[in-house]
Amino acid sequence: MNEKLLGYAGRVLKIDLTRKTFEDFPWTDSDRRRTLGGKIMAADILHSHITPDMKAFDEDNWLVISTGPLTGCACPNTSRFNISTISPLTNIVTSSNCGGDFGLSLKKAGFDALIITGRSENPVHIEILEDDVSFNDASQLWGMKVSEAQEKLQKRHGKLVIGPAGENKVLYAAVFSGERAAGRGGVGAVFGDKNIKAVTAFGSKNAEVYDRENLKKINKKWVEQLRANPLTGRQLPKLGTAALISPMQAHHILATKNFSAGRFDDFEKISGEELAQNHLIKNAACTTCVIRCGRVVQVDGKAVKGPELETLGLLGANIMNDDIELILKWNYELDELGMDTISTAGSIAFAMELDEKGLWDSGLKFGKTDNLSDVFNDIAYRRGIGDILADGTKRMSDKFGGAEFAIHAKGMELAAYEPRGAVGQGLGYATANRGGCHLNAGYLVVAEGLGLDVDALTPHGKAALAIMFQNLMECISAAGSCLFTSYAVFPSFLIDKPNSFLTKAILACFPYFGPVVNLLNKHTGIAKINIPLLLHPYALTFATGMKVTMADLLKWGDYGYNIERVSNIILGQGKGADTLPKRLLDEKQIESNEKTKVPLDKMKNTYYRARGWKNGIPTIKKLNKLKIEIPEAIKALNL
Amino acid sequence: MAKVTVKLFGVMRLDSKISGAQIEIERISDIFNVLNENIKSEAPQEKLLSFNDAVVFVNGERCKKKSFKPSNGDEIWLMSPSSGG
Ligand code: SF4
Repeated sequence: MNEKLLGYAGRVLKIDLTRKTFEDFPWTDSDRRRTLGGKIMAADILHSHITPDMKAFDEDNWLVISTGPLTGCACPNTSRFNISTISPLTNIVTSSNCGGDFGLSLKKAGFDALIITGRSENPVHIEILEDDVSFNDASQLWGMKVSEAQEKLQKRHGKLVIGPAGENKVLYAAVFSGERAAGRGGVGAVFGDKNIKAVTAFGSKNAEVYDRENLKKINKKWVEQLRANPLTGRQLPKLGTAALISPMQAHHILATKNFSAGRFDDFEKISGEELAQNHLIKNAACTTCVIRCGRVVQVDGKAVKGPELETLGLLGANIMNDDIELILKWNYELDELGMDTISTAGSIAFAMELDEKGLWDSGLKFGKTDNLSDVFNDIAYRRGIGDILADGTKRMSDKFGGAEFAIHAKGMELAAYEPRGAVGQGLGYATANRGGCHLNAGYLVVAEGLGLDVDALTPHGKAALAIMFQNLMECISAAGSCLFTSYAVFPSFLIDKPNSFLTKAILACFPYFGPVVNLLNKHTGIAKINIPLLLHPYALTFATGMKVTMADLLKWGDYGYNIERVSNIILGQGKGADTLPKRLLDEKQIESNEKTKVPLDKMKNTYYRARGWKNGIPTIKKLNKLKIEIPEAIKALNL
Repeated sequence: MAKVTVKLFGVMRLDSKISGAQIEIERISDIFNVLNENIKSEAPQEKLLSFNDAVVFVNGERCKKKSFKPSNGDEIWLMSPSSGG
């Protein structure tokens, strides 16, 4: 195999905004072999820099924007890129994945990643043109909403912009690339703090690949596989992620009334079927995507991006709203203001329950929807109650009480899946490094009713599966791939034939595969094989020249999960951080069913043992195995 | 025979062009015969449905037996498997 790795642009650009300088950041093939790229690379770079007292809005907090080796290699669904930084919402590391055009453009400009440090005195537009970087005055752009700001920038350039929410440091402000958002954890607020209104990149460089002919063959096979798979070939293109509203209702997973229930009587009015049949104009997609899960709908006579499942669920069932037209409008407004719809909606639902319980008289009430557009604007511009809502659920609960129903993990609002109907997803939410994120959680709900039909209420085997899914997703994301490409790993008949004898037999055994899966999790090297259904290792091999197997994916994923965890501990995350609000742990979702609460402790102990962690902290033995330097914070705990 | 309301969801609804129907059946498996007659006339290019293809719920509870006998007034949901976060 190749000595020099291919598939990569080969350079990392570091920009200092305070001094308005730029330079190459040292990043070698040995670093690439250790981290692969994307999210894991960003976690590794941040880990090398952060110190115990560092905060999100420190001048010295780094923004790391990174691509994966498959981006730009003509592989399907590989334009995704990652933004990592210290989150103002959670005070730990956040990573946010985005499918816009910026990643591909950054790579074409000759860089795998971009590190931004310092703070500009005035609003700035950073323009990256192959070997040159300019710092353009962005005073004219400051104050503009997301699409207007993008329209003012060079059409052919890959773009990142923030809206008013980022400028006003709303703690869950997003960064946009085209209509796609790096939504979670407040990366937009860090842009705003550094006075960055926009970053653009342009170039014409093409990454050299190791074996073009075989990569072409694999890419062709990959496209065929994605088109043949029932989820990626039919459901996602036809209904988008919104398809999930109905099955979530059926499986008691549709977060309703601030997660006090898992079913919403009027779910059909906000469902994917309603969206597809009565509102969809056409599909949309991230660059290089063959699935095309994005929706285009009409709002006020204009064709705009339609909502994802999360937005439909959280601005629908979770606030007791059954008006889909309003959700389409709100989704557009929130995108224009530059805010994460998940955290916005979660914060509003919490405020509604605080109001209902007489803890905070905000005037926000479940089912009362007439004033919400104004509230979104107030959040983005930090006016009136908006200023309080802009700080998110956790800070509101610190101020007004209600911690037991403040639906967040590590300070990040949960996505739309009610975990008492899918307890493995609950374990994922609790243990996810970035907090209440469904994807960083490992998305175990895909096996617990949404895709496969494994017993959703048993804790058995869930710890092992959560680790495997978390590690695999970590790595697939680091490669530059859309996470939906991982669905193709499930044989079609398990999805397509839910009532066949074979499917039922295999899925009934699934929870008992735990020990075997754990063996693979613990000894990642065992899986030195490739399976025909998972094409990422083949593509990575032909793109980079590394000989990649399943074992490498698991190893990279494990490294990424651990290095991010270590950074969080350096930043002050202690034992007991991996938890969920009391409502989800102690209150049954269905009164007659004892199993409808998340048995977190039961699953967490197995999870920690299998991860090589004690109380959520990686042991010295584990870190030595992964060759991760032991920080003082962990040495002091003597694990 | 029981008079039941059947609702289709997901790709199954879009492909078959049937959102729902009120039908009389004896067992769950009979639903598919009735729906397939409709598909043959309304959307002949589409694949016919079978019990094995659908995640079935009766009054909100998962039903895995095609021989299950519903009662009058039951609401039956037929879902195609879906995912995506
Ligand atoms: S499937 Fe959806 S999220 Fe993934 S790359 Fe395609 S459009 Fe983007």
